[in-house]
Amino acid sequence: MSLVSGAFIGIMIITAILYYLSPKKFKPYVLLIISILVYSSLGVKSLVYIVISTITTYVAGLLFEKNKHKKLILVVTLVINLGILVVIKSELVKNIIVPLGVSYYTFQVVSYLIDVYRNKYKPERNIAKYFLYTMYFPYLFIGPINRYDDISKTLFETDKKFNPQSAYNGILRIGWGFFKKLIISNRINVLISVITQNPSEYNGAFALFAMLLYSIQLYADFSGGIDIVLGFSKVLQINLKENFDNPYVSQNIQEFWRRWHISLSSWFRDYVYIPLGGNRCSKLRNYFNTLVVFLLSGLWHGVNYILWGLFHGIFLIIGKFIKVKNKYVNITVTFFVVSFLWSFFIWPTAIQSLQMIGSVFTTFNYQELFSNILNLGLNLANYIVLIIAVILLITYDLKREKINSKIKNLSTERKLIIFAVLVWIVLIFGMYGIGFNASDFIYNKF
Amino acid sequence: MKKFLKILVILILIAIVFYLTNKLLMPKYMDSLVEGSMISQYYDEEKNHEVIFIGDCEVYANFSPMVIYEETGITSYVRGSSQQLLWQSYYILEETLKYEKPKVVVFNVNAMRYDKPVSEAYNRLTLDKMKWSKQKYEMIKASMTDEENMASYIFPILRYHSRFDQLTKEDFEYLFKEKKNTYNGFLINKNVKPVESLPTKRRLSNYQFSDITYSYLDKMTALCKENGIELVLIKAPSVYPFWYDEYDAQIEDYANRNGLKFINFLDNVEEIGIDYTQDTYDSGLHLNLYGATKLSKYFAKILQEDFDLTDYRNDEAVNSVYQERLKEYHEETGL
Repeated sequence: MSLVSGAFIGIMIITAILYYLSPKKFKPYVLLIISILVYSSLGVKSLVYIVISTITTYVAGLLFEKNKHKKLILVVTLVINLGILVVIKSELVKNIIVPLGVSYYTFQVVSYLIDVYRNKYKPERNIAKYFLYTMYFPYLFIGPINRYDDISKTLFETDKKFNPQSAYNGILRIGWGFFKKLIISNRINVLISVITQNPSEYNGAFALFAMLLYSIQLYADFSGGIDIVLGFSKVLQINLKENFDNPYVSQNIQEFWRRWHISLSSWFRDYVYIPLGGNRCSKLRNYFNTLVVFLLSGLWHGVNYILWGLFHGIFLIIGKFIKVKNKYVNITVTFFVVSFLWSFFIWPTAIQSLQMIGSVFTTFNYQELFSNILNLGLNLANYIVLIIAVILLITYDLKREKINSKIKNLSTERKLIIFAVLVWIVLIFGMYGIGFNASDFIYNKF
Repeated sequence: MKKFLKILVILILIAIVFYLTNKLLMPKYMDSLVEGSMISQYYDEEKNHEVIFIGDCEVYANFSPMVIYEETGITSYVRGSSQQLLWQSYYILEETLKYEKPKVVVFNVNAMRYDKPVSEAYNRLTLDKMKWSKQKYEMIKASMTDEENMASYIFPILRYHSRFDQLTKEDFEYLFKEKKNTYNGFLINKNVKPVESLPTKRRLSNYQFSDITYSYLDKMTALCKENGIELVLIKAPSVYPFWYDEYDAQIEDYANRNGLKFINFLDNVEEIGIDYTQDTYDSGLHLNLYGATKLSKYFAKILQEDFDLTDYRNDEAVNSVYQERLKEYHEETGL
């Protein structure tokens, strides 16, 4: 099931209705039951993994309180949970079921476990509530990786009345997520698919074109999915933290990781980087810590992405030595570095990705690219739609606060018109349905 | 109250915009892919047909109700559509019976060989312009391929949104109007493309018609019996796709068991006078206007002699309509 499928839209509507119709104290339980049903519908066997992760960390949290062997309990529980993740991710066992959201919920339970171990907050005693923390279904599709202390208040809160303003904002954000996924990401996906199908012909300028486009695609795709999750949560008045903050205006790789996939990078900062010593140590040790974090970040995505993580670590360290005053130069260089490194996501193997990066500097077939640009799966009309959509995306991202506050102060009628226009645009210019080879969200697989 | 009214007006305006967009993006089936408008053209007809043809392209290309009327005064209509599957034929018959009670239903059995939906494109040609009814809903359910969903039939914009860059003059010209493309469901094709080689009998692993097609044929038979309609099974004289003796035997057997008439026109090609070097427009898949005229004259005689049907040439009201249409038909066909 995709976040942009009719089935998921139906589930969101039914969930919101049942959630607000249910008596106050039952609200979290209604959400839990729906989450279990949704998760089970995607494969009952997957339930085993998430139940093991939930119960082991729940029990460990309680055992921390009155036990002398806290460290042992921590280590054993971490080994169980991270062990499952590593086995699944490393593909050590063939034909193993990959449970939906395994990377997301494992990191959630680990953060809970370590926080309780560190006495940051008390363990959750209500197992149903704890299950809701791990199984709240929207985030399992694409993230973000939530923290217990961030999410628990609004997730477990019972005294909620339907809030039209919050619901409107949420629905509008869901619509914006659809816009990004169906109009931008799916359109670029057509081009990327054609280019990657024939690497011997489409290299050099084509490879560069694919890398730059993929940067936009991945952002539109991933942040679009997050928009749907956060938008739906907003309808339910559950506050999840933002996962993106204009990543492509970053002036260096370090800043990029403060703005991109924030929930993952902050997780690594809090549970790996700082415990390793962070930057309160020698420079050499700090560089080592940085590389470890990025290696693990690569591994979180899968074995094939280790090199990608490592390069990010290296470029982050290089960035510390190079200081350029012009921010536009910094932004452009950072964007190009990030785009080149997305190659590891575009082409199937690391070797091929490196070859494609190399071809950009050795094969100057720009003339060929321009003369073939309309033979890559999109016609002129679709290129125009794509360009306009990307301009809209950039404009909104850069002026988000201003635009949101303007919309907030509009009359109900105008809000209605804005929503209708958004739906109209998505319905017509979205790439979906028969005749189109739909791709699922890229980060759905992680 | 004023605010409520404002919101209501906006909602109505939004609904109108969505409705118009939907209408604009849907194929019009007027100048191109005209086969898609065949099913809907029936709705505007005077419903006084004594004979209804149902089936795939082998009926709408091969039988001309105009010729049948001119020869015998018998009123008929072809409710055919491209690759019409058996369940589609059944529901089209059911729908037709809501409008009128013909004395004879002629069903072309070629579709018996297909036991599952063939393609989404063919489904669309039959279903897109059909009026909404219980029959249409059931037909969609029975016809959908794995990649289709009901929502895209209810809201065609979900299917046709990508036509935004393919809109032509036709889409605007026929946004609110339609033109007739057929004469009582008969689609004229004057082209000539002779049969170059006769089909060779390729062996099949299984010749048995499936349970699903038989079940719909049973339903069709029962429906006709309930309504006192004579069901006639025919096989049009199309050379392709090859009609096997094993198929023929099964239909023969079915007709005998159910007391139905079965005519395989492939057995009467010489008697009809069909010349496959002149009378087909696509090397034998369909007859052209000239072949269809010969076949229609031949079948008109059978209808006149074997069934108790009315000669409407003596009915002033009906005849005047048909004469006018015949005039147009002769002008267009040049026959």
